[in-house]
Amino acid sequence: MLDQIPTAFLFFAAALALPVLPRGAVRGALLLALPLVAALQAWSLPVGTYAQVEFFGFTLDLMRVDKLSRVFALIFCLAAFLGNLYAWHVRDTVQQIAALIYAGAAIGAVFAGDLITLFFYWEGTAIGSVFLIWARRTTASYHTGMRYLIIQVGSGVLLLAGAAILYRETGSLAFELMTLGSLGTWLIFLSFGIKSAFPLLHNWLQDSYPAATVTGTVVLSTFTTKLAIYALARGFAGTEILIYIGVVMTLFPIFMAEIENDLRRVLAYSLNNQLGFMVVGIGVGTELAINGAVSHAFAHILYKSLLFMSVGAVLYRTGTSKASELGGLYRTMPRTAILCIIGAASISAFPLFSAFVTKSLTVSAVAEENYPIIWLLLIFASAGVLSHSGIKIPYFTFFAHDSGLRPKEAPTHMQLAMAITAALSIFIGVYPYPLYALLPYPVEYVPYTMAHVMEQMLLLSFALLAFGVLMRTGIHPPEIRAVNLDTDWTYRWLMPRVLDRVSVVMARIWTANVALLERWMNGIWRRLYHSHGPEGRIAQVWPTGSMVLWIAVLLGITLVVSFAS
Amino acid sequence: MAEKPKDDPARYPPLGRALMWVDKPGSANKLFWGLAIISGLLFVGDFTYSKYGKMDVGNIPGFYGVYGFVMFTLLILVAKALRVLIRRPEGFYGDKAIDTEAYPEDQLERIDNDA
Repeated sequence: MLDQIPTAFLFFAAALALPVLPRGAVRGALLLALPLVAALQAWSLPVGTYAQVEFFGFTLDLMRVDKLSRVFALIFCLAAFLGNLYAWHVRDTVQQIAALIYAGAAIGAVFAGDLITLFFYWEGTAIGSVFLIWARRTTASYHTGMRYLIIQVGSGVLLLAGAAILYRETGSLAFELMTLGSLGTWLIFLSFGIKSAFPLLHNWLQDSYPAATVTGTVVLSTFTTKLAIYALARGFAGTEILIYIGVVMTLFPIFMAEIENDLRRVLAYSLNNQLGFMVVGIGVGTELAINGAVSHAFAHILYKSLLFMSVGAVLYRTGTSKASELGGLYRTMPRTAILCIIGAASISAFPLFSAFVTKSLTVSAVAEENYPIIWLLLIFASAGVLSHSGIKIPYFTFFAHDSGLRPKEAPTHMQLAMAITAALSIFIGVYPYPLYALLPYPVEYVPYTMAHVMEQMLLLSFALLAFGVLMRTGIHPPEIRAVNLDTDWTYRWLMPRVLDRVSVVMARIWTANVALLERWMNGIWRRLYHSHGPEGRIAQVWPTGSMVLWIAVLLGITLVVSFAS
Repeated sequence: MAEKPKDDPARYPPLGRALMWVDKPGSANKLFWGLAIISGLLFVGDFTYSKYGKMDVGNIPGFYGVYGFVMFTLLILVAKALRVLIRRPEGFYGDKAIDTEAYPEDQLERIDNDA
């Protein structure tokens, strides 16, 4: 029975039922139980296609279960559970429904077997998620949400256009591996690229995530971008251009994150950097690399949620997430500090923490396929991760200078959500084999070798040492209240001003044209008036006299013509 | 205006008090030199076993340490230079940006540790 109900529909049904339930424990219980039931369904369904429906002559596959879709569905369910636990205190119905629709749409999308179903869920994630930004209920969040929505819906429109063209070319709407070449595949690729935050298409991420609510950002950090990673892994595995796009993604955010003051935006840049590792893995496309991308997405969802949760807890207690205003919070928020450090160690890929056993699959695949420059850049990006997420987030929030803030420790449910997430990050790092068993291909990789542990420890310890030297010498940039320009400058600053200028110029041209026309018409009018007005030459002759004169002229001409012929 | 609560370490959570050693004079030095010693030991240790990685440069003993130190430093220096170019005042995008907007107080639960 349960196998014929698409997993997404469970979330949508809960979203419909939620408003009639009393706020508090009952709603909270539903929000926690539902992802677990959904995970059970995703786990227990055998590989195959379920819930096919007819739609305008097309057969839609609502539930295509295979190893790739299942692992993403499972981590999405787990993240939904953790996000809802973290948001236990929230009594805002809008946020609760939005989180359910968003998670449901993302899970529906990973199970979609065709491009039409994918499109509907793709847009569903856009619409569900924007309410997590608008739920902040401020002018700025409204404007940020609008920018976010335009870009996300635009991505869906590109997907639909690409699917239509592809259907015309191939006669199929199946969501399978594609080869870049036709306009259709390029549009679909671009659509996935927007949600994956490709370089130059990325800035919606850093613009919108810090604008969401405390709990909304945690939920946002999980779904949209990882859905796009899934879509790339499904549709464009082995597309070489992704290697180069991905490596740029790993690099530029580490510079931006280093000088960013808002810690939730730092984490958004960090998220972008981590997506880069996954995109590189998908671009390499070997079994090892795809396993690397997928396992890294799985681990990343956990540790990134943990980092957003810890910064969110600080925001919840202090009212700010700006590094320049924080510092020294370990005194009264020590558990949050330690859980944040676990998240930082996980993302930095310290041995015994999750990224150590996942990111290395991708880096090894890059080495196996002999991309030495890409390999060197990925190692550099790994040191960069340590810089902004491993050091900056915990150090400038909980240590560094004493801000004088003495907030109470995070609420118990937030601590519990963070503790479970941290425990999972450590468990994956210590014993990765259950995760490896979930991956699309068999894993022969052994993460704990002497060389791998030593190399990673050397990289991280010397990078930490460099940080120490730079701090002691005063070279390390201080945290200051400022914003940094990114590509959103083009549509938030430049474009409005260009449009303003253009409208001013257009208005001037219009005014000049109207004035010219008016002058011209006046001239004609004046001349007509001069000749035909009461004082004009024509008016001097009465119309009857004028008519007789002209008849005489005509008769004269007729006579001349008759005589001549 | 409410009087600022008195900062009494005795009222910090026990874990917070235990972590206070990081702020004691000399602790930062100890941490730094401890890290330097660990890094040195790891560097020396990297010469004690054979490597068979696919990338030749990665098989050079100590490569990851030197590369990590140099690239981390380079990253910070470049980021610092980049800041000069792209830094703008917080209110650069006007009053419709979150950068200057206070987080809505009704969505927070600010409680002081002493409360």
